[in-house]
Amino acid sequence: MAKVLEGPGMGLLKKWGLLTPNYVVVSSSEEFDQLAQANDWLQKSKLVAKAHEALGSRFKLGLVKVGLDLAGTKAAVKDMLGKQVESVTIREVIVSEAIDHTDEYYASAKSTREGVEVMVANCGGIEVEANWDKVKKILVDIGEVPTDAALAGLVKDAGFSGDTAKKMAEFLKKLYTCFDNEDAQYLEINPAVQNAAGDLIALDAVTLLDGDAKFRHKDWNFPFAAEFGRAYTKNEEEVMAVDAKVKGSVKLIEIPGGNIAMLPAGGGASVYYSDAVVARGGKLANYAEYSGDPPDWAVEVLTEKVCSLPGITNIIVGGAIANFTDVLKTFGGIIKAFRKAKAEGKLDNVRIWVRRGGPNEKQGLAAMKALQEEGFNIEVFDRTLPLTDIVDMALSKK
Amino acid sequence: MSILATKDTHVVIQGGVAGVNAAKRMAEFRYMIKKPLNVSAFVYPPDAGKTNEVICGNQTVTIPIYKTIADATANHPEINTSLVYVGADRCYASAKEALDDSHIQTVSMITEGLPEKDAKLLGKHARTLKKTFNGPSSIGVMSAGECRLGVIGGAFDNLVACKLYRPGSFGVITKSGGLSNEIIWICSQFADGITTAIGIGGDSYPGTDYVSYLEMFEKDPQTKAVVIVGEMGGDLEEQAAAWYGAKKRRIKLLAVVSGFCQESLPKGMKFGHAGAKEGLQGEGSARSKAEAFKKSGATVPDTFGALGPAIKATYEELVKSGEVKPIPELTEAEKPALPRSVEQGMADGDILVTPLIKSTISDDRGDEPYYQGYPASELINKGYDITHVIGLLWDGRLVTKQQAEIMRRILILSADHGPCVSGALTTIIGACAGIGLSQSVAAGMIMIGPRFGGAVTDAGRYFKYAIDNKMAVDEFLGYMKQNVGPVPGIGHRVKSLRNPDKRVKELVGYVKSLGIATPHLDFALEVEQITAAKKDNLILNVDGTMAAVLVDIGFPVDSLNGFFVLARTIGLIGHWTDQKRQGSRLIRLFNYLVNYAAPSKREVPPLK
Repeated sequence: MAKVLEGPGMGLLKKWGLLTPNYVVVSSSEEFDQLAQANDWLQKSKLVAKAHEALGSRFKLGLVKVGLDLAGTKAAVKDMLGKQVESVTIREVIVSEAIDHTDEYYASAKSTREGVEVMVANCGGIEVEANWDKVKKILVDIGEVPTDAALAGLVKDAGFSGDTAKKMAEFLKKLYTCFDNEDAQYLEINPAVQNAAGDLIALDAVTLLDGDAKFRHKDWNFPFAAEFGRAYTKNEEEVMAVDAKVKGSVKLIEIPGGNIAMLPAGGGASVYYSDAVVARGGKLANYAEYSGDPPDWAVEVLTEKVCSLPGITNIIVGGAIANFTDVLKTFGGIIKAFRKAKAEGKLDNVRIWVRRGGPNEKQGLAAMKALQEEGFNIEVFDRTLPLTDIVDMALSKK
Repeated sequence: MSILATKDTHVVIQGGVAGVNAAKRMAEFRYMIKKPLNVSAFVYPPDAGKTNEVICGNQTVTIPIYKTIADATANHPEINTSLVYVGADRCYASAKEALDDSHIQTVSMITEGLPEKDAKLLGKHARTLKKTFNGPSSIGVMSAGECRLGVIGGAFDNLVACKLYRPGSFGVITKSGGLSNEIIWICSQFADGITTAIGIGGDSYPGTDYVSYLEMFEKDPQTKAVVIVGEMGGDLEEQAAAWYGAKKRRIKLLAVVSGFCQESLPKGMKFGHAGAKEGLQGEGSARSKAEAFKKSGATVPDTFGALGPAIKATYEELVKSGEVKPIPELTEAEKPALPRSVEQGMADGDILVTPLIKSTISDDRGDEPYYQGYPASELINKGYDITHVIGLLWDGRLVTKQQAEIMRRILILSADHGPCVSGALTTIIGACAGIGLSQSVAAGMIMIGPRFGGAVTDAGRYFKYAIDNKMAVDEFLGYMKQNVGPVPGIGHRVKSLRNPDKRVKELVGYVKSLGIATPHLDFALEVEQITAAKKDNLILNVDGTMAAVLVDIGFPVDSLNGFFVLARTIGLIGHWTDQKRQGSRLIRLFNYLVNYAAPSKREVPPLK
């Protein structure tokens, strides 16, 4: 799943004929000043300024300002840009036109196993979250498109009538076309409002696209944003860049404040290892995973990042019995990075726990075991030890 | 007995290198169970019409490659299963092609990163056709003692360790490829092993769900219990639990679910497989899945580690109730083994191979070339030159600084002799005809022989013969006249006593200035005195001079032509690149340069 920020998200809606307010995304005050001179609407309309970053609760953080005139917007832009919020620096601000309206509506489309759910409510904004029962939905079967009759029925069911009902049905049809053609997984417009002419406008949107479909969307020239309410860290971005380049995969998510560092193999096993740490009362310092027989240098990069996590006491090099990931080769990358980290003093007082099986497991485990002679505090186990027992040992041995 | 992949499964593999690797793993399995390979064909348009060779035990099986599935099934009507190893951007079409073929009942896709929309469409298509679409991102299917689809199960020694040469009593369904193997191992250690293990893939919308496979397992009398390894996200685990709890089932169910760590992590943080994500309203959590399984009556160990003992307890119950009879273990000697490779046998020290060739000059099995044992980098760093490498590779010795200098001068003097000589002209003609560098240079090289540049070795041979046999010049010339003919190294087409070859003068002058013993050069110069007196152009030529000098500094006779070949290669490459740089066009001889002496035109007589 790949989250898209408001600017490019609005761009995709516009591409498929949905109306959005006028908006600009700026990365400097000078850029905004120039755009203000070039665009009539920036001078005449009431404006909204929002930090254009993957941050949750922007309103609470004071990163959304509404009802501004041009001068107020300039000040807001200047104030927000460069601001440090947790680990995130505000690099962009989106300024859009405020649309006077009375009623707010909700519209969304969501991929499910059975097809696509198209949802709509006769209320919007915060109100819809408190009145989820007002959201009505239809299921569009896999490979189908919603019929006009089905959409008309849906909006009627949701309490729309007259011209607004007709317009909302059209709005949903366009929303679905956008969803389907852009390989979206979730598309939510909240609120949609009516302008003076009675046309429906998407004021705010949440856009989640299928990152795996990027190969067939040449115009997806925007970066994907992190989905967990913060921007990616430098280390995470570096590992993502490696992941994009190699066969197999390497993944890293940093979790500040933890002391148990994770370096397990396998998309499935890695989560069981994380579960084991949490179940034993440990605090995860990160999530990581390598799989699909990645090159040793990619695993080396991942290991370097994991060894650099602050305040760690244990590293869990776990893994199931691999089908085709070469244990000796991937461990080669880990060992190289371990040696480097040790030389830099990063592994002082860090205990390393290894459990693994798979192609060339004997040689790979022997190479890890040999690190004991180099002064590493490392324990190495083979397939005969149950998968997550190294976590039990790491967390019981104080 | 088994499900999905059985003794009757015949496979077409769609894809290139990754598919061939899978076939190799499948062949190892078939060898283990003493059955012929069940891969009938490959479909890979770029290589259509060719074949792939797969080693199956101690023989090589040749498998044809086709352009389309229809071609494959027309030629191999036994095919009923396709394995898809095609890239994510093309594999929708490949899988659909396979599903649409009437011979094929099961399509299993290993490809990762298939867009979700494509996966949903393929899943629906398969359900409409009442076929099975397994995957995407599936590690494959393993039916012990019967059939392996894909690389599931890993290396051969792991197949044996997991007792996959014969069926056990446990079915396995996982999303994770690595964990499927782990569970296969656990079932073999804590119980009697597996019947069939299926990887359904960790994507959001796998083509097949747990329930379809649970129903198949329920109908398979060999399978007594099923282990499900679930993950947070989606509702397939809940559906499986609902199926199990709906009525009394023959099979026992054990299940573990991962993703409990999410409860103490920032919301929305995405871990593991693409499908491992909570819904926007928090549905699909590990806890709700585990609760659902517990409620259904399934055994749900608290942790993954507790799964082994739980499987053991289930197995012991099955044995106690008489449903399962323990299978006697094979002795070490009875366990299947792959034929060893020659390399492995030699490493183990119990195979003797007579080498085909013997090399005494160099070795590149390390991380850099060694010349006569000396690492190339060390030679460079200690100031040695290309002439020293020539000494090492041609004569097995490190030449002295003085010898290296003589060799260097010989190479410089012989590097080129203008465009008109046979070698250069031939290379130029080649270059003008659009022929490549190595071929054009080789063509020029072919000209090197008795009349052009190739007399060095022979000259050296006879001068050495004279010195070894302590011959006087007259005696030598008599010997040559009687047994050989003209003396190699003596005589020049254009140079003469009055018009001496400056290269010869230069080389002789330098070597004599060194004050070293040069018996062969001295002898050659004496020979010249006599021959040039008879005829002006019978002078010691550059070939003869090089030969005498090189024999004097100890080079073996057979290596001598090498100095000319090496030096002139530099010139020939120069001529080729020169023509190329100019963009020279095809050339041909002008008619006026040919004396047409063939009979003039006449009538062809009737054929007799």
